[in-house]
Amino acid sequence: MNFDLTEEQKLIKDMVREFAENEIAPSASERDEEERFDRGLMFDKLGELGLTGIVFPEEYGGAGADYISYAIAVEELSRVCASTGVTLSAHLSLGSNPIYLFGTETQKQKFLTPMAKGEKMGAFGLTEPAAGSDAGGTKTTARREGDSWILNGTKIFITNAGEAEIYVVMARTDKDAQKHHGISAFIVEKGTPGFSFGKKEKKMGIRSSPTMELVFENCQIPADNMLGKEGEGFKVAMKTLDGGRIGIAAQALGIAQGALEAAVNYAKERKQFDNPIASFQGIMFQLADMACMVESARLLVYQAAYKASNGQSYTQASAMAKLVASETAMKVSTQAVQVLGGYGYTREFPVERMMRDAKITEIYEGTSEIQRLVIGTNLTR
Amino acid sequence: MKILVCIKQVPDMESRFKVDSAGTWYDTTELVWRMNEYDEYGVEQAVQLKEQTGGDLTVLCIGPDRVKETMKKALAMGCDRGAHVNDPDYATRDPFEIGAIIAEYASDKGFDVIFTGMQSQDRGSAQVGVLVSELLGIPAVTTIVDFVLEGSTVNVKRELEGGIKAKVSVTLPALFTCQLGLNTPRYPTLPNIMKAKKKELLSIPVQDLLKVAFRLETVSMQLPEKKGGGLVLEGDAGELADKLITILKEKTGVLAK
Ligand SMILES: Cc1cc2nc3c(=O)[nH]c(=O)nc-3n(C[C@H](O)[C@H](O)[C@H](O)COP(=O)(O)OP(=O)(O)OC[C@H]3O[C@@H](n4cnc5c(N)ncnc54)[C@H](O)[C@@H]3O)c2cc1C
Repeated sequence: MNFDLTEEQKLIKDMVREFAENEIAPSASERDEEERFDRGLMFDKLGELGLTGIVFPEEYGGAGADYISYAIAVEELSRVCASTGVTLSAHLSLGSNPIYLFGTETQKQKFLTPMAKGEKMGAFGLTEPAAGSDAGGTKTTARREGDSWILNGTKIFITNAGEAEIYVVMARTDKDAQKHHGISAFIVEKGTPGFSFGKKEKKMGIRSSPTMELVFENCQIPADNMLGKEGEGFKVAMKTLDGGRIGIAAQALGIAQGALEAAVNYAKERKQFDNPIASFQGIMFQLADMACMVESARLLVYQAAYKASNGQSYTQASAMAKLVASETAMKVSTQAVQVLGGYGYTREFPVERMMRDAKITEIYEGTSEIQRLVIGTNLTR
Repeated sequence: MKILVCIKQVPDMESRFKVDSAGTWYDTTELVWRMNEYDEYGVEQAVQLKEQTGGDLTVLCIGPDRVKETMKKALAMGCDRGAHVNDPDYATRDPFEIGAIIAEYASDKGFDVIFTGMQSQDRGSAQVGVLVSELLGIPAVTTIVDFVLEGSTVNVKRELEGGIKAKVSVTLPALFTCQLGLNTPRYPTLPNIMKAKKKELLSIPVQDLLKVAFRLETVSMQLPEKKGGGLVLEGDAGELADKLITILKEKTGVLAK
């Protein structure tokens, strides 16, 4: 048993922290305010650093690093800007990883390699108006016509939509099969006729990350773009989300870490009643609790990442990490606002943004209720 | 082209420093370590030179085992191999000993170019680079902010006081000490971080290279006394501006005198 990061993991942490502080942090609040995604900064630069393909083998343009390194990267980005953190997580875990896990060699060469290199960005379309937590309720259809599939339907709340070049999309290929069995996964490229984008969501947080609808109207894609076997789309989606939860857990951890540091720094500087507020036990104890929560979440996140890298089953571990880290992010960022008092409530300080950003981590890639359902079902079956 | 870059591992300058029990250096427990800032410019310049010439680049660092972590960063930035001079007592050595260790290492290797930082962020003696060059009998150009190789000549800009720069040409072999403004050090990319672990990192016991005795001894070290707070200027806008301009001229280099 060893709790130390490896030399590479430490180098990666230092590098991403330096990059995040120097390049990502300065515009974080402005991008939030303007609800503006900056592709050059939030994706292309990550590609230049080799972060966009961090866990994939070198033969597919990746860096061949482990999942802990990936979690560290998302954590460090999210510590200063949760929108940048989720951009990477959605691209890597949701857009690219299903192609790595289920793609044919040709699909990996054609799609995964440019994605890992950061030349093309990925996204994942599962959610629909009537299929949220209940992903089996997918209504989007795919109909076979000769050498093609014809897609019809709408996906909502899709991260990286509009910007991404490559979309992994779930659609029903068999209306008569039982709910989960009639779904298949497809790779759809931006620019395919019949594929367009609907409205852009106006959100509470992660406002610098675009969330949009995907609209398919008789969208014709080559039969070769089916990902995995026909009827196995639900399995593709669930496996993808297992990995994705590590990314979101790391995002939540980063938000919590950022909020904790902001609160500690402020409490040491701010004086009331002639003393730094950090010297009041009422504040100091809050900071202590926050630090304990962050550290517990970190252990769970790294543990889930460790299992993912070492060929162990990690469904349970990633659900636990995601649940605990997201609830930690929410609690710690809310307390950070409290520690900063009125200043924390203003947009002059980053903690109100962190609090708004934290909320989504309890919702996407399976709500906290769904994580409890996953964990509880595993426990009691 | 054979290139050597010398780096030092120093504490994060944001750390809270305590004087150690011997009273001659800072306490090294619970510190976060990183590469000396000026050495990062050295590594960046060395890597650029290697890329320009297809040269061979060695990074050298003196210190205990933990300095290997900082050396890995230099390897990930593009150095070809590391020479770790294993020396648990490095911090108490004077600049002459450090310079002599490096010169001894370099003496039979035929380096065309040697880079060091202008000074270290912790000791700040600014002597090691020039001592190495003196011991090797090659010229040193200090505090460089620009470096251009043309044939076997290097044209550099040196930073002088008050923002003035001097152009200097030197024929190789030569040593250069690097100053802020020389370049922007690159981030080590993920693939290069992964490759760094496969690069050679040779460890040499300090006894093999240390053949001189120290000439300076640190007698004692104290933290500075706490100074009073900032200066509050008073008066109307015109007076305030005059006072501020006077202070900027006299106490800083922001305005020309
Ligand atoms: C900003 C943002 C980005 C997103 N990005 C993506 C993306 O890239 N790709 C993608 O496919 N989707 C994405 N989503 C969708 C997201 O994953 C869903 O919103 C989420 O899964 C919840 O679905 P829902 O919104 O339909 O809520 P519902 O499923 O309608 O849930 C409503 C409430 O009921 C609870 N609930 C539901 N079922 C149960 C149950 N069985 N037991 C107990 N409680 C239950 C939920 O926990 C929740 O509290 C994104 C959403 C947002 C807001």
